[in-house]
Amino acid sequence: MTTTPTRTPTPYRSRLHPARAGFGRLLHAEWTKFRTVRAWPLVLAVAAVVTALVCLLGANGSSISGGGDDTLGPDGTEVVDVFRYTHRPLTGDGTVTVRVTGLKSADDKTIEPWAKAGLSVKENLTPGSAYAAVLATPAHGVRMQWNYTHDTAGSSTNVTTSPRWLRLTRTGDHLTGYESADGHTWTKIRDVRLPGLPRTVQVGLFVGTPDHEDVRRAFGGTSETYGGGRATGTFDHLALQGTSASGSWTSTDMGPAAPGGPVAQNAPPSGTTAVSASGTYTVTGHGDIAPAQGGPDTVQMSFQGVFFAVLFMVALGTLFVTAEYKRGLIRTTFTATPARLKVLAAKTTVITAVTFTTGLVAIAVGFNLAQHALRTNGFKPPEFPDLSLFENPALRAVVGSAALLSLVAVLALAVGVILRNSAGTIATVVVLVILPQILSFAFPLPAAQWLLRVTPAAAFAIQQGVTHYHQVKYNCLPESGCYPLSPWNGLAVLAAYTAAALLLAAWSLRRRDA
Amino acid sequence: MSDATIEVLGLRKRFGRTLAVDGLSFRVEPGTVTGFVGPNGAGKSTTMRALLGLDAPDEGRALVGGRPYHALRTPLLEVGALLDAAALHPARRGRDHLRWLAHSHGLPAHRVDEVLEQVGMETAARRRAGGYSLGMRQRLGIAAALLGDPPVLLLDEPVNGLDPEGIQWIRGLLRRLAAEGRAILVSSHLMSELEDTADHLVVIGRGRLIADTAVSDLIAAASGDRVRLRTDARTEAMELLARAGATVSVTDRDTLTVTGLPARRIVELLNGADVPFAEVGAHRATLEEAYMELTREAVEFTSHTDTDEVAS
Repeated sequence: MTTTPTRTPTPYRSRLHPARAGFGRLLHAEWTKFRTVRAWPLVLAVAAVVTALVCLLGANGSSISGGGDDTLGPDGTEVVDVFRYTHRPLTGDGTVTVRVTGLKSADDKTIEPWAKAGLSVKENLTPGSAYAAVLATPAHGVRMQWNYTHDTAGSSTNVTTSPRWLRLTRTGDHLTGYESADGHTWTKIRDVRLPGLPRTVQVGLFVGTPDHEDVRRAFGGTSETYGGGRATGTFDHLALQGTSASGSWTSTDMGPAAPGGPVAQNAPPSGTTAVSASGTYTVTGHGDIAPAQGGPDTVQMSFQGVFFAVLFMVALGTLFVTAEYKRGLIRTTFTATPARLKVLAAKTTVITAVTFTTGLVAIAVGFNLAQHALRTNGFKPPEFPDLSLFENPALRAVVGSAALLSLVAVLALAVGVILRNSAGTIATVVVLVILPQILSFAFPLPAAQWLLRVTPAAAFAIQQGVTHYHQVKYNCLPESGCYPLSPWNGLAVLAAYTAAALLLAAWSLRRRDA
Repeated sequence: MSDATIEVLGLRKRFGRTLAVDGLSFRVEPGTVTGFVGPNGAGKSTTMRALLGLDAPDEGRALVGGRPYHALRTPLLEVGALLDAAALHPARRGRDHLRWLAHSHGLPAHRVDEVLEQVGMETAARRRAGGYSLGMRQRLGIAAALLGDPPVLLLDEPVNGLDPEGIQWIRGLLRRLAAEGRAILVSSHLMSELEDTADHLVVIGRGRLIADTAVSDLIAAASGDRVRLRTDARTEAMELLARAGATVSVTDRDTLTVTGLPARRIVELLNGADVPFAEVGAHRATLEEAYMELTREAVEFTSHTDTDEVAS
């Protein structure tokens, strides 16, 4: 029997207290969702173990022997300190002036862009000692450089075509570099302080040119041209004001004394210095005064597990959202919380928190295991100083790698919201993050470096432990673990992709029916 | 707080070239179970999704308690919904499914236990949802809808997949919930499922309203002034009554349906002619019959005016 209500019903009221639907409750709901699908915390745990193990195994496969004759600069950085020096001692304050009239290859080759001819004030003649220099280059203008890693640009004069006057003044600890077109009007480049500089220093003119190194790569092969050349610089109007214990200029080939070092193996004929009657100095020399580049990066070598962890994080970030779309559960989610962007924010927060925390622990453990293995395999101080987890660059690389994993997971989550499909999402994110890495090993070098700049793969730069100085030409080879962008800029590229994907996901959530 | 009502006003929703809902309006009052009936693809689910803020209407409004769904601050305390019983993660336990829902509104854990008891899922909820039968999923979905103790319930085909005992259970549950003053909208593509449950019916076809009526009125109209006559002397009875001006049709081997004469006059005629009969009574249409009559008219109506495709 069907009944018709004859009473006037009293509308029902929920007996439950309307609890405020704040963001914290949403986080609680999403966290409950995450931990109650047993596979997800399990994937996280497996990812952590795999990451730490691969870090260890990867590092275990690397070993090094020999070494021990590396030159270290005043701050402990490994440096190159090889050049032809025509010098005199200077006691107390003083000024040295010269005009550089030319700089060319001594072997009729193309001059290296970073060949150098200029003036230097140096602590002593020991390689690696403190110095300050004003110098002219073929392609990078006039520079003031000091203590190997520091560099300030002056004018952009090309000394192979235009002569340039240079001046270097010592006042106590302070060294000031000047340049001039005519020897009358001087422009200050920079004033630098070299703390603890002795009263008597060496002062003089120098010439050097870095080794020629050229890598070309096409599909299927890499060709490397490598060789030490010499450069010839010509100078006149050399003048020293100040007190010198010696009445004449002496010439020295600066560099490591012992044979067997990396320079000696490639050493070109030693440098020459010729002085004409009119006071023209013709100096031929080889080498460079710069931070050493291209050595093994014991920081980066400790992070090989992160690459694998990325795959787990992509899967987690994807499934956390696409599993809901697959079964229509997303409708239940949006029925409970009609504010869809808040749901996106809560999911992003939960996935960020779990992947960052897990990643941080796994990577920190993996890094320490890897460092231990590397020490055992010969990567020892002083060339490879012990790296503390709590100091840069290791700290930055560990925290940055954990951030990388989180950003990748959130990228996958956002793409999942846009595509609403597991397979498509995983494929898209892997193509974006992993494929460029693999392709960069095979592509011609400019294309490979471009890939590692503009794709999210750029973020792996965060693991680089060696600094690349702009004043040193360096062939950035992906297979050597070099990323063209600086660590944080690289990570920022990934962050930009993630942010863009999140914006698109938010737009999609607002515009489309659930 | 708003009234426990559901209002659909001039709702229109198009998916590509398909007009799923075409200017639909109706209202569900507190204290009633309203059956939302129509063939598959008539637009029932689309209307429900619009009410829940999941699909944005192209035109018109879908309001719960006088407000659009997205304006509700604590939706689970105001509307309980069951859209798709299969919308569960197979690896998640039934209980955990309710727990995350409860957490989203800061509801206490004992509330989860209460609704699980209410639907008889205390034991099954400890298992992963992947192993549930359709009936168990329906019960869990109803538990989720009841979690916030809401004054309004929207249930899309909740009877589907339940065994006879389950069907009896849900009828009783819906009657009890309505008696408490809740507004309940229950969709079904089978009118018989709503027998003994619905007070009111909203019938739609091809996205349009066909009928919006109390069940009692509908059945009375469908029953009309027909009289049911049981007799072994079928032929004699038919001739006699037809001569008296009635329209007689054969319903069964020994049953005739008579239109055009009151029951009392039929008895007089039969007695006067000595035609034996076992029973004379007013015919009462079933809900199914009433529905068939309605949709027959609707089909004739729509075939003249409707040019749109039917939503799938």
